[in-house]
Amino acid sequence: MQRAVSSLALSPSVKVKLASAGFQFTADLRHLKPLQLSKEAGLSQQEALEVLQAARSEGAGHREGALTALELLQQEEEMRSIITFSSQLDAALGGGLPVGKTTEICGAPGVGKTQLCLQLAVDVQVPPCFGGVGGQVIYIDTEGSFLVQRVVDLATAVIRHCSLLVEDNDQRDAMTSFTVETILSNIFLVRCHDYVELLAELHLLQYFLLDHPKACLLVVDSVAFPFRHFDDLLQRTRLLHSVAQQLITMATRHSIAVALTNQMTTRLRGGQSQLVPALGESWGHTPTIRLLLHWAGPRRLAAIFKSPGHMDTTIQYQITSDGFRDADESEQPQSKRPRTHNDQSAGSQREAGC
Amino acid sequence: MAVLREGLCPGLNEDLVHDLRAADIKTVEDLVSSDLEELAQKCSVSYKALFAIRRVLLAQHTAFPVSGADLYEELLSSTAILSTGNPSLDKLLDSGLYTGEITELSGGPGSGKSQVCFGVAVHISYQLKQSVIYMDTTGGLTASRLLQMLQAETSNTEEQMEALQRIHIFRLFDVYSVLDCLYNLRSGGLQQTSVAGGSVKAVIVDSVSAVISPLLGGKQNEGMSLMIQVAGVLKAMAKDFNVAVLVTNHVTRSGSGEVQPGLGVSWSHIPRTRILLERVEYAVSVGRSSLCSATLFKSSRQACHIKEEFDLQCWSRSKERSSGKRKLDETNS
Ligand SMILES: Nc1ncnc2c1ncn2[C@@H]1O[C@H](COP(=O)(O)OP(=O)(O)OP(=O)(O)O)[C@@H](O)[C@H]1O
Ligand SMILES: [Mg+2]
Repeated sequence: MQRAVSSLALSPSVKVKLASAGFQFTADLRHLKPLQLSKEAGLSQQEALEVLQAARSEGAGHREGALTALELLQQEEEMRSIITFSSQLDAALGGGLPVGKTTEICGAPGVGKTQLCLQLAVDVQVPPCFGGVGGQVIYIDTEGSFLVQRVVDLATAVIRHCSLLVEDNDQRDAMTSFTVETILSNIFLVRCHDYVELLAELHLLQYFLLDHPKACLLVVDSVAFPFRHFDDLLQRTRLLHSVAQQLITMATRHSIAVALTNQMTTRLRGGQSQLVPALGESWGHTPTIRLLLHWAGPRRLAAIFKSPGHMDTTIQYQITSDGFRDADESEQPQSKRPRTHNDQSAGSQREAGC
Repeated sequence: MAVLREGLCPGLNEDLVHDLRAADIKTVEDLVSSDLEELAQKCSVSYKALFAIRRVLLAQHTAFPVSGADLYEELLSSTAILSTGNPSLDKLLDSGLYTGEITELSGGPGSGKSQVCFGVAVHISYQLKQSVIYMDTTGGLTASRLLQMLQAETSNTEEQMEALQRIHIFRLFDVYSVLDCLYNLRSGGLQQTSVAGGSVKAVIVDSVSAVISPLLGGKQNEGMSLMIQVAGVLKAMAKDFNVAVLVTNHVTRSGSGEVQPGLGVSWSHIPRTRILLERVEYAVSVGRSSLCSATLFKSSRQACHIKEEFDLQCWSRSKERSSGKRKLDETNS
């Protein structure tokens, strides 16, 4: 079967030129030299070179991203999740916010989406000897809700928590460089005012990540806000889908966790109005995991309502001056690294398998 | 159509290609549809030589007629039916996934499409001992969930690991990478994968819409053309390698809330069988049960709109309890 030239990753104008010069299949290109092609199709030499590279890369054992499920399992086990400081939520998520995946946090205003994001931005920096990831954060703030003072509070609480756990010299050493200042300096804050800035930032991020291999978390708080006034809904959906594919590419390639927040909106269906996550139903396919934070009377609940590996579960949490915590104070994370003791989650069954 | 070049067929030498090009004849198509007599004069070659060239080129580019009887014979000898491991789905699919065909699962977010794909992959690799290719375009593939499903099948870790090794994963997040990969599999990569385990019996693409959606709805209809190309390779692969192809798709909702598989009319002709998945919602919209309902949306074998329900947790349950569902596997493997 012949491969059409139009299926190559080339710019549309180049494809048009190739088509009008009669090049329809990659086989037609293979025996050509760049100079010949540039003459025959009216392309610049650079373009001709790119075309030939694209046409030849095919069949050259394209194994990028190929692995067996066993290898993937090993990768998943090596990747540490980012703890949330709510042991119940960590348990439900199989250890915390997963690295290499995208997680959407939906909820009404004030329910704690930003609090959870700020908490994660601090938690991701917990040194490895305390069971943390010891990573840096890229924090994209689109709503202007990033409050440094709040980060200082959360950081102080996490440092206090870790210092109580110190048992050996490793940990004592780690504590000397685990301070509020270092925590703040490891958060790269980007303020995006509209969707164009957001798109541009995401585009540049792949290069930033190459220069910052210690980055383990990307927060976008929120995705919904820059896309709120959009006349052309089709265009919006298209942009959102390409954002989503970009995010999952980065999450996979650079092994970072991506946390996105989304607002809620009312939808009328069958005469009933329902509160649902914004950005449309088709956006809902794109995050790997979807969390819903909501109120039940005075209680705050977090529900996993989509995950490829976890059953739908609801847990209760609270937001204290120290940050995002379990509802029941006695259930604060005791161990260095909260383990999954919940046999509903996939994580706990892993050990049995290997 | 192919570009004319030296050595494409006997008699087509460099000079002639050059002369033809001067006469604005660049492709096989141009040559076949031109007036040979006029062309012979323009390029100062004999009419007979051109005629011979045209005949060879036509023969090279023609489609061969096949008799219906031969087709049927081939169908009977080559088609296999792969059980999905889920009795309800097998019922809708008239026993399972047919090799040589494309089957589609569509549904909203969290409707259970990926769960079904995982289940199918695990069943084919563990029960049927065949290899599976799994193209993950959304990052949803979770190996620990695959392991969990395998643990429900067997407690033998060795067997679990072997089954995991027969699932070959490609994580590709844009349509060009997907096409690169498909064409590569098409031109030999699939057999190579087969050497390393059982032969490849199924190719799963979860999801097609994730890589097409970023290109649809714009001013250029590049997305449409790329979608058709994806469809083309998948179809060719299904036929030529006799594998079952399973794809997932989004849904669209009309104003009244009625759901339909996504990607529009042109795509709707591609899958032979389409199944719509929905989660059964509790009456008082407080949440969803783990029950999933599957509706047959398009089929060439059964009446449409028949519906089956199954539990998404069925794959986590130990299999000893469900009896009788093994029989299909035995007849096929
Ligand atoms: N280990 C598990 N046990 C039971 N149910 C599970 C388990 N893991 C996931 N599920 C269920 O499957 C749901 C997710 O389904 P799935 O990943 O198949 O969605 P999907 O149709 O692929 O959605 P999308 O289009 O967004 O990819 C979860 O919300 C949960 O209800
Ligand atoms: Mg999915």
